[in-house]
Amino acid sequence: MSRGIVVALATVLGGCRTAEPPMTTFAPKSDFAEWTYSLYLQVIGWDSFILVLVGLLLVLALFRYSTRALGKSETPPVSRERVELEVAWTVGPALVLIAIAIPTIRTTFRAAPAVAPAGALHVDVTAHQWWWEVRYPDLAVLTANEIHLPVGRPVRLELRSADVIHSFWVPQLGGKRDVVPGHPNAITLVPRVVGMYLGQCAEFCGLSHANMRFRVFVDSPDDFQAWVAHQATPGVMPVASEDLVTAGARLYATSPCVTCHAINGVSSGRLGPDLTHFATRTTFAGGTLANTPENLGAWLRDPESEKPGAQMPRLGLPPAQVSELVAYLGSLR
Amino acid sequence: MAVARRILDGAAEPSYLTGGGLLGWLTTVDHKRIAVLYGLTALVFFLVGGVEALLLRVQLARPDNTFLAAGTYNELFTMHGTTMIFLVVMPLELGLFTNFAVPLLIGARDVAFPRLNALSYWVFLAGAIFLHASFFFGGAPDAGWFGYANLTERYFSPGTNLDFWVVGLLILGTSTLMSGINFGVTIVNMRAPGMTFMRMPMFVWTMLVTVALVLLAFPALTVGLILLLMDRFYGTHFYVATVGASPVLWQHLFWLFGHPEVYIMALPAFGIASEVIPVFSRKPLYGYPMMAYSTALIGFLSYGVWGHHMFAVGMGPAADSAFAVTSMLIAIPTGIKIFTWIATMWGGQLSMTTAFLFSVGLVFEFTIGGLSGIMHAAVPIDLQQTDSYFVVAHLHYVLFGGSVFGLFSGLYYWWPKITGRLLDERLGRLHFWLTMVGFNGTFFPMHFLGAEGMPRRIYRYAPGMGWETWNLVATVSAFILGISVAVLLVNIWRTLRRGLPAGNDPWDGRTLEWWIPSPPPEHNFVRLPVVRARDPFWGLKYGPQAPASRPTLEPAPPDTIHPPSGSFFPIVLAAGLLLAGIGAVTRLAVVAIGFGVAVLAVVGFAFERPAFGEDESGEIAAAGVDNRKLGIWAFIGSESIFFASLISTYLIYKGRSVTGPGPQQILEVPLTSFSTFVLLMSSLLMVLALAAIQRGAERSSRRWLLGTAGLGLVFLAGQAYEFTHFYHEGLALQTNLFSQTFYTLVGFHGAHVTIGVLWLVALAAASFAGKLPARSSLAVELCGIYWHFVDIVWIVIFTLVYLLEGVSGA
Repeated sequence: MSRGIVVALATVLGGCRTAEPPMTTFAPKSDFAEWTYSLYLQVIGWDSFILVLVGLLLVLALFRYSTRALGKSETPPVSRERVELEVAWTVGPALVLIAIAIPTIRTTFRAAPAVAPAGALHVDVTAHQWWWEVRYPDLAVLTANEIHLPVGRPVRLELRSADVIHSFWVPQLGGKRDVVPGHPNAITLVPRVVGMYLGQCAEFCGLSHANMRFRVFVDSPDDFQAWVAHQATPGVMPVASEDLVTAGARLYATSPCVTCHAINGVSSGRLGPDLTHFATRTTFAGGTLANTPENLGAWLRDPESEKPGAQMPRLGLPPAQVSELVAYLGSLR
Repeated sequence: MAVARRILDGAAEPSYLTGGGLLGWLTTVDHKRIAVLYGLTALVFFLVGGVEALLLRVQLARPDNTFLAAGTYNELFTMHGTTMIFLVVMPLELGLFTNFAVPLLIGARDVAFPRLNALSYWVFLAGAIFLHASFFFGGAPDAGWFGYANLTERYFSPGTNLDFWVVGLLILGTSTLMSGINFGVTIVNMRAPGMTFMRMPMFVWTMLVTVALVLLAFPALTVGLILLLMDRFYGTHFYVATVGASPVLWQHLFWLFGHPEVYIMALPAFGIASEVIPVFSRKPLYGYPMMAYSTALIGFLSYGVWGHHMFAVGMGPAADSAFAVTSMLIAIPTGIKIFTWIATMWGGQLSMTTAFLFSVGLVFEFTIGGLSGIMHAAVPIDLQQTDSYFVVAHLHYVLFGGSVFGLFSGLYYWWPKITGRLLDERLGRLHFWLTMVGFNGTFFPMHFLGAEGMPRRIYRYAPGMGWETWNLVATVSAFILGISVAVLLVNIWRTLRRGLPAGNDPWDGRTLEWWIPSPPPEHNFVRLPVVRARDPFWGLKYGPQAPASRPTLEPAPPDTIHPPSGSFFPIVLAAGLLLAGIGAVTRLAVVAIGFGVAVLAVVGFAFERPAFGEDESGEIAAAGVDNRKLGIWAFIGSESIFFASLISTYLIYKGRSVTGPGPQQILEVPLTSFSTFVLLMSSLLMVLALAAIQRGAERSSRRWLLGTAGLGLVFLAGQAYEFTHFYHEGLALQTNLFSQTFYTLVGFHGAHVTIGVLWLVALAAASFAGKLPARSSLAVELCGIYWHFVDIVWIVIFTLVYLLEGVSGA
């Protein structure tokens, strides 16, 4: 019941919205997030109690004891000091803090196992300025800015950085973990609810820190298997013909794109995201743009305007060639 | 200028504000004038930092806004934080209020080192100017006020932006350290007769603990910045993972400074509240001993919590839990303060003056900030909240709701004493209520934004995230906050010209500053008070008839007061440092010129006839130790942390070099043992030099001083040989982790020895010139303390770097 009150308060204070903000921390969808939320409710309970107590005492004191003017002629009031009071407001908060510390320590250890649980899915996440490289080492899957997880199965996300410190945060799946060069970190959790969850880099990492977003899809086991199976395929090779897609394929293979990007069987650049199954992703450009032909065209024409500091250069291509590339990339299922 | 003339003319009698002209202000060593200079400068930067914040808020008012480019946004949020912390809150708390009020509160005529005080101000101004020059020369710093490595490496931040940041903070840190030494010695040594520690005003207590934090925390930042400077300018890799180093080292060094730093900002505000609330409750501060002890406890515990800024870094659940517990522990003494203030008001006769309102506001707002802090201490919750707008809310509740509210309270409280005029109370109340609306409206919604997943330090956010409403509310409220500051400025403007004269005691105050005129005369007290209880002025006015608790006045006649003589050297020295800073971002030759100017200024400083305070410290030396000796010990304290940070860096990186040569291959323990022995013998000669001068044997003393210097030179020659030898063996500065930590640690120690040798030679020269008689033996003793300290540091370095290497296997 008290949990309900706090949730209600949080909703009201959160702005009386019926639709929940997509990155809210109050909608736990994994075991890690649930333990955190439950601890949060306890602490906010104590905090609210203390705040109301202090507020009431202050207001009471102000109303009861205020005078109209500086009464210099009045005899000054006498201060009665009572040791019991000082003991009470020392011991009281200490007891509250113990009540908070115990579940805190328990949850801290529970959420950070030293080794992955048996049967866990391993996902290697490498953070770059300003995109997320995602690799499934046991499943030969390589993608970017998108992670698929099977519901109900433990997952161990290994976090590494290719350049500076980033932070991996999917609020609905739990707290964040920094991604530190030279200091691999891991998050272990069990996603509990099928759905799509937004994530974002949460450690200032330079010019386009705000543009370093990603999505986590928690799928049913069947959907996950299907996705894995598809991602593991070698990729679509366009049938030789005169259409835009083939023209785009030819253009790609002979352009600087190949230096930075990999497409299975075509190029093996490692500086930017792998594009083999590009068309299966819902977003691109660090999760900031929906994967539509219009957005893709805009991006190819001027990456910098979408993501300041983006390492992808302006290609300076005529519109016809941009269309060819867009068509080709759109065919990469 | 006309306003200044108006204030000066309005003073009934000559005060510290009158006389001397512009030159008088430029060469002043009067703590009250220096306080005013600090106050004016900090106020200007408060406006600058505030405008920066408003610009940020405009950008965030709408999703995908294009008001500010990403790079500009990053510069503005970096400078907002850096400015508010280093150029506003700390200068107001230390430079303005501690400077102005502490000598008055303890019944002193000035601080312990008046010229050092002036130097602190001018170096502060130099640092502030240098930092802001970046806007005009290549762009302001843009990696956050916390500058996390390795984003701050030259590779990822190629411009001069961060060079300005590193050098600017080093300059500012110097200023703060000098203030720390000055105020520490003042509080310990210059309290009026009878004012024991447990009778001092609570603001003085909080400042005592604050300066201890300054002395023992800033050096960690200094070391972090120096290592970053070396990475950016000299190709080392202190924070680069590929050579075995770690960017997390920066975080440890930074937060070892950074957490005490937030208490450096909070404690003075608590002290102000502890002055203001009793006065306007007409009751003494409740539970004074517990307040004093809890202040000291907060200071002590603040060194044990730094890891709570790093819960997301992955230190492991054991370390995380330990820091969680210590962070929760520090909430207990803070809670004691909150309840104590309420208990002070309870049963009192409250006057709702503006000063009182802001202190009451502090109690409430800091409670909110402290409670959200407890949420952050709970590690799993922190992992959701950190690096989101939740922590932005938390930090502003404690730093604005705590520190700035405290500063406003102090401003309204001490304004009459500083200027001789009262601020208008109606405008003051308007300022207060606009602040309450604006502040809470800006920052309370940020709790929700953070809980709803909005990360911090982002220049834009997408639509449809549910963040639009609260961002707009925060922006509008921020402008209300801006209006509230405008109200304050109007108040200041109007009352400076025609405000009511304040008189000595407009508030029916409790402490000694209200016993003297407003504004005070240059020398503060004609006759120094002798104190017998807390709240001595209150005891004078309302105390029992028996004189047991009432203060009296010393019988000393007025003609023993020597007005402090002004000095040019502070401003010249600061100009030298500014020049050196400019050289750091332009050309090396300018650095040399700048340091040259600074060194000349130091020499001039040293040989100048000191201001009166430094001569007469013996009369009221409450601790029984000369001011200068206490000062050098305070300095040694901060130097200990400096070397401890460098030594820790060496030990942390021990064995992590990716390439050779390593210590085992290259160190020559026998040779270094000899030079260590030489250095230890030099300490013996130092002892003999001091003994000689104390018994008046000047020739003998000269011989021993030069002998000490000579042995020091032998040690340095050994180091020079060692360095060149290692270099030829393939150990350059940038070779590996061992080389960079070794050369940096031993190099800085060598620099300290060099300064010591120069000092010794200068003393010998003074002795030759007949300027070092027996009664000036303190000068030799000070050098001796420094010299022995440098020796002891070498013993530690020699043991940990050389001996352990020779003994251990790996």
